[in-house]
Amino acid sequence: MIFLKIWNYFLGYLVIRVDGLSLEKFINLCVSRGVKLWGIKRISYTSLTANISIKDFKSLPSIVRIVRCKVKIIEKRGFPFLAYRFRHRKMLVAGMLIFLVILYILSSFVWVVEVEGTKKVDEKVIYEFLEQKGVKPGVYKGKLNLWDIENQLLIELPQLSWVSIELKGTKAIVRVVEGAKPPKLIDTGTPCNIVASKDGIIHQPIVMEGELVVEVGDTVKQGQLLVSGIIEHEDTQVVRYVHARANIWARTWYEGKGQADFDSMSKVRTGRKITHKILETENWQMNIENPDIPFDEYEVEEKRQPLLGGDEGKGLTWVIRDYYEVKKSSHKDIDRLTKEKAAEKAMEDALKNIPNDAKIIDKKFKYAIIKDIGYEAIVYVEVLEDIAEQIELSVN
Amino acid sequence: MKKKKLQEVKATVSEMFELPKEITLNMPKMNLIGDSQMLVENHRGIIEYTPNLIRVNSTVGVIKVQGDQLNLRNIAAEDIMITGKIKSIEFV
Repeated sequence: MIFLKIWNYFLGYLVIRVDGLSLEKFINLCVSRGVKLWGIKRISYTSLTANISIKDFKSLPSIVRIVRCKVKIIEKRGFPFLAYRFRHRKMLVAGMLIFLVILYILSSFVWVVEVEGTKKVDEKVIYEFLEQKGVKPGVYKGKLNLWDIENQLLIELPQLSWVSIELKGTKAIVRVVEGAKPPKLIDTGTPCNIVASKDGIIHQPIVMEGELVVEVGDTVKQGQLLVSGIIEHEDTQVVRYVHARANIWARTWYEGKGQADFDSMSKVRTGRKITHKILETENWQMNIENPDIPFDEYEVEEKRQPLLGGDEGKGLTWVIRDYYEVKKSSHKDIDRLTKEKAAEKAMEDALKNIPNDAKIIDKKFKYAIIKDIGYEAIVYVEVLEDIAEQIELSVN
Repeated sequence: MKKKKLQEVKATVSEMFELPKEITLNMPKMNLIGDSQMLVENHRGIIEYTPNLIRVNSTVGVIKVQGDQLNLRNIAAEDIMITGKIKSIEFV
């Protein structure tokens, strides 16, 4: 049905009003002569309204003469009439077309470059590199060979292990993942020792090659020899140099500190939020989305993204304000929550240094109250990790 | 008399071969959607049309449709679509 409606609109149709005494006869005559009527409504005993196509309207006079009724056009609907109205306003139509063309042209350029996923690598380095390769605001999208740029980025910045450049509208989103450097591998033919990479207590040494020089329970210092690559035969005194290999699981300790304020815990977010979206320039602002805030108490977080013009404040800025509903906590809860938060932060701090393959076996928290401000938590984490580190032997 | 017999034969034949009767017997076919829309195929023109009453001519007699705010949404040589609140349909 919707297609028929669009088709009718495209061809144009008239809403007519027919006044007369024998309107049934009018309808029947129309039908028998192939004049299509639709949406017929009887207004009163002597009149009805109906829709009719432009083409069929021209064959109405002969019917009107027979039935002796009056036909009046109430409304003209459809594209042909709209086009007729624009006949003397060519510049308006031209303006519309120019607008579409400009929109199309502008959307085929990159206007914003965004880098996501950087941690240790400075974003500026990536931005600079991208600019060199042509990914910068104002560049034509079709000219960019993204695949090539991705590869070059990977080669020239070895800290990155994965790069993807996606064009989303007029935005170029560059996603990177930083990889950990692979450890230096010593050729299996070269003799080497194994030393401790960290302080710790030996828990379980698994030696595949070489001679273990420490025992379970020994406390070792960083750099201390664990497995020797020099093996001397007891009886023959023959010295053999081997490529020592071992996993030395040892207990090590990490420390983390965290602090939380009472103030930050006095209000807890309930999870409900409302977002305002505002388009802003120096002189005016426009609310794109501006719903009412039904919360009694809330916190506001504001994010600003420059859209055009670059610098903050100048040009167009996209402002997103998130309103979070908050609930006041009781005095008892504040104490508990602050403590928890401090512990959480301390743990986070400690985890930064703990390698991924380590197993946490024990955690101990210590809390210190900072008067009127909050808590400071210190966590001691005991982990099991492999502290073996190969060091080349100079055989001389 | 002869015409009536022919009609009977036609009816039995179309029953046997499961042919659509509205074509073989030249009868109107009505299609109702709830009480809001009615499609009459194979009609013979409109006799009367008011918002409360529509009378449509057909081979089996006059079909009288009563209701409220009845509109003729579509009208062609073969079929009529009536919309509005339909209350009763009668064969007169």
